[in-house]
Amino acid sequence: MYVYIYDNFLRQKNFLPIVHSMEVVLTDYGIAGKILRLQNYTDCKTIIEDEIKRGAKTIVIVGNDATFGQILSRSATANCTFGFLPVGPNNTIAEVLGIPVGVEACTVLSRRRKEFLDVGWMNNRYFVSQLKVMPSNLEVVYDERFKVTATDKMEVIVCNLQPFFWKRDKKDKEQHVVHPQDGKLEAFIRPLTKSGWWGYKYEEPSIFPFEEMIITGREPFTVEADGKISKEIKVKIKLAHSKVEMIVGRDRKF
Amino acid sequence: MIFQRNSSKVAPENNEPEVLDESRPDIHDEVETVVGPSVNVEGDFASEGNIVVKGTVSGSVFTSKHLTVEMGAKIIANVRAGSATIAGEVKGNMKIKESLELTSTSKVIGDIDMKDLRIESGATLYGKVTMPGVEAEKPIKTKTFKKSEEAAPLFG
Repeated sequence: MYVYIYDNFLRQKNFLPIVHSMEVVLTDYGIAGKILRLQNYTDCKTIIEDEIKRGAKTIVIVGNDATFGQILSRSATANCTFGFLPVGPNNTIAEVLGIPVGVEACTVLSRRRKEFLDVGWMNNRYFVSQLKVMPSNLEVVYDERFKVTATDKMEVIVCNLQPFFWKRDKKDKEQHVVHPQDGKLEAFIRPLTKSGWWGYKYEEPSIFPFEEMIITGREPFTVEADGKISKEIKVKIKLAHSKVEMIVGRDRKF
Repeated sequence: MIFQRNSSKVAPENNEPEVLDESRPDIHDEVETVVGPSVNVEGDFASEGNIVVKGTVSGSVFTSKHLTVEMGAKIIANVRAGSATIAGEVKGNMKIKESLELTSTSKVIGDIDMKDLRIESGATLYGKVTMPGVEAEKPIKTKTFKKSEEAAPLFG
């Protein structure tokens, strides 16, 4: 049995035609199912566990990167297969999974090509897309083997499924991309140095693939994982191998 | 009761994922590791992929692939790599499986062991160079001059 979880933004008028045509195609394939809508304070974990008890075998996320992160970060441990129907802008994870945006995604879902995905784990919760530590005085220890420090503040970005786009500075026209790979998490460290009276300038970045990392700060620092912001003093980040069973496309990037 | 407390308390989650010790041969770590120019790395720095060093590394460095030490970078460590291109400074012994290239800006202090060596003019090297397959039959004796010998006139 299929259960579809729609993001709240899909209620907007401009998304209604695409959602309707998707529902028609899903009915044609015979994989239409119950539809649930996410609200601001919905706990995805409880909903999904209830649906699994009622016999749901496949949970399909309908929305964008934010929806994907919001649902999977809470319910990565759920005993079911996940599907993804990307709709609208901000869909970078769909490309990594080889799922086209829009109605064509229904075909990928119907083919049921399943893969186990690795998920990032951070201080007792999971993250699937990206984790960002805002610039602060940090010390990073990788795999309990080596330590990375910078003279001043540094920013840390850990990519799991979502690619990271960055520019050297505001004037840089070329956009650089860090492509995530399955099997490892990728940490992207950008130290900042003082420039002028108040400003800071980003230095050239460092990239480290890793499986376990501990970030310690002299003061509490801000961490954003799958859109959820928290203040931490010490963060342990790990890779949980083959945690989520996901329906993926043929053109996936791993 | 409406406001009845839920008797079954949810146990605190301790869902720390297990780190798999078994090696995963299906995953190829081809990802390039880059140490940026204003970053210091201390400890046993190891990677299965290529390493590019633009900053400072101290401790030890190991890679089975290619190591690039860019101009201005500094390594104070023993290095083991598949192959290497050095344009910066290395203080420590290097054991390279295949080829080692020292560019004109490089400065190496330490013993090096490799199969194939290329040195550009301008590179500085202080240490013992060893290559597999070439071994000195007898240790080369260097003649030591006594003070009286040294002081003796050459054409006398």
